[in-house]
Amino acid sequence: MDLYLPIAEMPMNVFLLLGMGAAVGFLSGMFGVGGGFLLTPLLIFSGISPAVAVASVSSQIVANSASGVLAYLRKKTVDLKLGLYLTLSGIIGSSIGVWVYGALRGAGQLDVVIALCYVAFLGTIGMLMTVEAVRAILAKQRGTPLPVRRPGQHSWIAGLPLRVRFQRSRLYISALPVVALGAAIGFLGALLGIGGGFIMVPALIYLLKVPTTIVIGTTLVQTLGTMAFTTFMQSATNQTVDVILGLALMVGGVVGAQFGARVGQSLRGETLRLLLGLLVLSVGLRFAVDLVARPDELYSISRMGGG
Amino acid sequence: MPIRLLILAAALVLLSSRLSAETLVTALSTERVSIESNFTGAGVVIFGTVERDQHTVARGEPYEIVVTLTGPLRSMVARRKERIAGIWINRASGELPRVPAFLAIATTAPMADVAGNRVRAGQGLGFDMLPTRGLPDALPPVRTEFDAAFFRLMQKEGLFTLDEGSVEFLSPQLFRAPIALPANVPIGWYTATVYLFSGGVLLAKTTQDFSILKGGFEQTITDLAHRQPALYGLATVVVACFTGWLAGVAFRRD
Repeated sequence: MDLYLPIAEMPMNVFLLLGMGAAVGFLSGMFGVGGGFLLTPLLIFSGISPAVAVASVSSQIVANSASGVLAYLRKKTVDLKLGLYLTLSGIIGSSIGVWVYGALRGAGQLDVVIALCYVAFLGTIGMLMTVEAVRAILAKQRGTPLPVRRPGQHSWIAGLPLRVRFQRSRLYISALPVVALGAAIGFLGALLGIGGGFIMVPALIYLLKVPTTIVIGTTLVQTLGTMAFTTFMQSATNQTVDVILGLALMVGGVVGAQFGARVGQSLRGETLRLLLGLLVLSVGLRFAVDLVARPDELYSISRMGGG
Repeated sequence: MPIRLLILAAALVLLSSRLSAETLVTALSTERVSIESNFTGAGVVIFGTVERDQHTVARGEPYEIVVTLTGPLRSMVARRKERIAGIWINRASGELPRVPAFLAIATTAPMADVAGNRVRAGQGLGFDMLPTRGLPDALPPVRTEFDAAFFRLMQKEGLFTLDEGSVEFLSPQLFRAPIALPANVPIGWYTATVYLFSGGVLLAKTTQDFSILKGGFEQTITDLAHRQPALYGLATVVVACFTGWLAGVAFRRD
């Protein structure tokens, strides 16, 4: 059954859309990430223009993170103050991202920049996760515990000025790295159509030393706030959000996420991180191959001024 | 004075009889194609008759019909990828300031047999004669590599089609030309042009407008997105939050 998407101006099979939403939702529920980094490329590969794909996925991420935030708020594992700092800085980053997005589209370099960013971020994060998970699994098999990270590394972060107390996270740290992190992820979110959870979660744990229990709920607050703003901005400035496309993805996504979360809870932490690492890495590799391999078609056409 | 008028009248009669030796009467099967949520493509049929007055002598050559369906004009840009530092990125580009977003051509016979290059160039008829900048000229347009890429890619996407021999005569005068509109057909105003040729000479030409528009619900959404972008964005965010909340409630396990 085909459904005509009014903003994308093309029909797409509604079951394919629901299925893609559900599959990505399943993975995101399982790993606790937004899944935008999978959904946006999937839509682009199935023929939707990158402009509409990136903008519409941001509305799907809003739905997914909204249901996540509610769940974590009930469990009271959210640092709202930290989330607010990250969201406000994320909104600044997102505004810049939406603007850069439009400028790159006009210059015809949007696709290559998106691909390069995917390769850089997915490649790096995927590699780090995979290596870390493999080491954890090997250490467990040998029965030798990994050396516990001592607090007080990254002393340069601790030494920065403008310190703020985040009571829920039991942190008293400079606001500068928090704002920089939020802005960077807001920027990437708008530019690449990703929530950025897969960057935010490790950054909060390893750089800012936020307790692991608080991390996911707080990340979701930031994702919800920043992506709601991004959806609004993409609608207002680029008019590329397809609400029908977004809705089909949302419905598939929120249902898939519930089942994913159940599977995720039954898997061991290292196994989960290894699988996620490999997944992230393979999407990055796919983009790398497309960039380096000689394309079948050297020419491309688009409307003047983007589109 | 009366003599002058007489000459003028005679000239007009002569002229009109020469012009109206053959006239075309054409009609479209639909004036408006509406795109609803289940749209997967449509078809439009152009009917026509070749009307001959009593004095027209029968021609030795058969009638040939060319039908073009031209979509809204747009400014396009074609880009070529080049390898730079190991990766393929867009470098050189060429602009096509006034080209149709859709063009279907249907004929009774191969284009080369219908009319020569000079005649077709003057009408801008055919993918090789369609001007990409400005109006049709007596000379065939000069094609850059970007123009060539544009025509190739538009044909690959099914937006430019050439169907030689698809126009059929049902009787010596009556013909029909079915044209398929693909699912990705651009929205906007279209012009159906019918050309009547015989022996490589253009005898008559008619044009008719029709529109491809989104249906009620689809159009409402598009209008909202373009005229009230802030409201549309806000509504999308509310819908998304509501969907998320609903899912959270529906699947709540505690």
